[in-house]
Amino acid sequence: MKNIQQRIRPLLIKYLALPSDVVLELPRITVIGQIHAYIENHKGLALFTDEELRLRATKGYIQIKGSSFVLKMMLPEEILLEGTITDIRFISE
Amino acid sequence: MKHTQGKFLSGYVTILVKGNMPELFFQKCVEQGISVWNVRKKGVDSCVGNVKLSDIHAIKQIKRRGNYRISFIGRKGFPFLFHRFIKRKEVLFGLLIGIFAIIFLSNIIWKVDINGLPKEIEEKVVKQLESYGIHQGAWTLSLGTPSDIQKKLMRDVPELLWIGVQKKGTTFQLEGVEKLIVKEDKVKGPRHLVATKKGTIKKMYISKGVPQVAVNDFVKPGDVLVSGVLNQSEENNKEKDKNKVFVASEGQVIANTWYEVAVSIPLEAKYEVLTGKQEKRYYMGINDFQVPIWGFKTPEYADIFVEQNENPIYFLKWKLPFQFIESSISEKTYHTTKRTKEEAIQIGIEQAKQELVYELGPDAKVISEKVLHVTTERGKVNLELYLTVEEDIVKEVPIQKNSKDGD
Repeated sequence: MKNIQQRIRPLLIKYLALPSDVVLELPRITVIGQIHAYIENHKGLALFTDEELRLRATKGYIQIKGSSFVLKMMLPEEILLEGTITDIRFISE
Repeated sequence: MKHTQGKFLSGYVTILVKGNMPELFFQKCVEQGISVWNVRKKGVDSCVGNVKLSDIHAIKQIKRRGNYRISFIGRKGFPFLFHRFIKRKEVLFGLLIGIFAIIFLSNIIWKVDINGLPKEIEEKVVKQLESYGIHQGAWTLSLGTPSDIQKKLMRDVPELLWIGVQKKGTTFQLEGVEKLIVKEDKVKGPRHLVATKKGTIKKMYISKGVPQVAVNDFVKPGDVLVSGVLNQSEENNKEKDKNKVFVASEGQVIANTWYEVAVSIPLEAKYEVLTGKQEKRYYMGINDFQVPIWGFKTPEYADIFVEQNENPIYFLKWKLPFQFIESSISEKTYHTTKRTKEEAIQIGIEQAKQELVYELGPDAKVISEKVLHVTTERGKVNLELYLTVEEDIVKEVPIQKNSKDGD
């Protein structure tokens, strides 16, 4: 059953032009310059310090590095990060 | 950032979480649906963040499940400000005094405005109003409603045709119309005086016109009593038109008229009488609830008659949901009288006379009465009376030009 779903979803994106983040349950990251990062569709916070934010995603983690990090807003599936961002990296398990 | 809108109004606290991986505590909060903002890491094992005041309870429950220590380090927002404000007694006291002063001043008459009346009647109205206690600076709570005042004014100032009383905030606005006594037109067309009822003529006072009937004559409705045509006796047809003089006849014709009246009088009558003993009580009304403020003791009256007078309290121009209620409790007693048949008949006759005079006007006089028929039925005496009344039966009827040509 899951197999069929996984096969259908890319087809949905391709032919029905549905947004890929919704259909595939992938995180959407909006970055405004170096100062803001807005992450939606994550699966929870794993680590947060002044210089690093690590969020769980469907597969693996999202790692954001920088300095003077503040979580401006936390909602169940959204996070707004403020600070100076230097790099964003996807870590697969 | 919609979820943090209004956070100032509802109040929020900054919490310091200590323990292993303190940021995970916030993660747990978020999973419970608590919104968290401005999360900052202070050290390896401490983290601060803001949460709403209303979520404190839920946070304490989460704390109990994990191994964290929480301390509140900042309280911001309106609830805390308000609390601090409440603590300052003198400010609060001043505020209360201010509100009371406004309420007090809102319930005082600042102005009595009278429009549409000439000076002397206005003066009279002002005097009357003062006797009711309505003047500048009076306390409005013990006054009657505008419609009561209107009724009283109409009764006490006979010169008024109409007066509108309106209470606009702290101003009483009165709009009056003077009763113009229209002088009857002196110049009137020629007219006859005609009988309106059948009767025998008792007295006649004719100031103008030719009487057509004499005392003790029997007249029917429509009979000409006084003619407005002079020189009617002129026999010569040719000269008739020339000699004819038309006048507006004037006069009074008093006649005896008869009425048949039926009345029924109960043999047993119950009525209530106020004894004059009275207690006053004052209440503060809040919606339907009444809080007594003066007059607590219950009068020991067997039967009472309660009259309530409600006056709304104003704050500036707004009506507050409070009323000042003045209620007077009067003692009343019930009386029962039993009448004999003869007494009942006497009362019946008196009642019938009064009713008839009321109907016919103050000039009518009942001169004799005769009981035609008496029956007693279910505790009532039914009477049929025959009343003889002395009254003016005159009606003015103009003389038509056409009809007089045909004469």
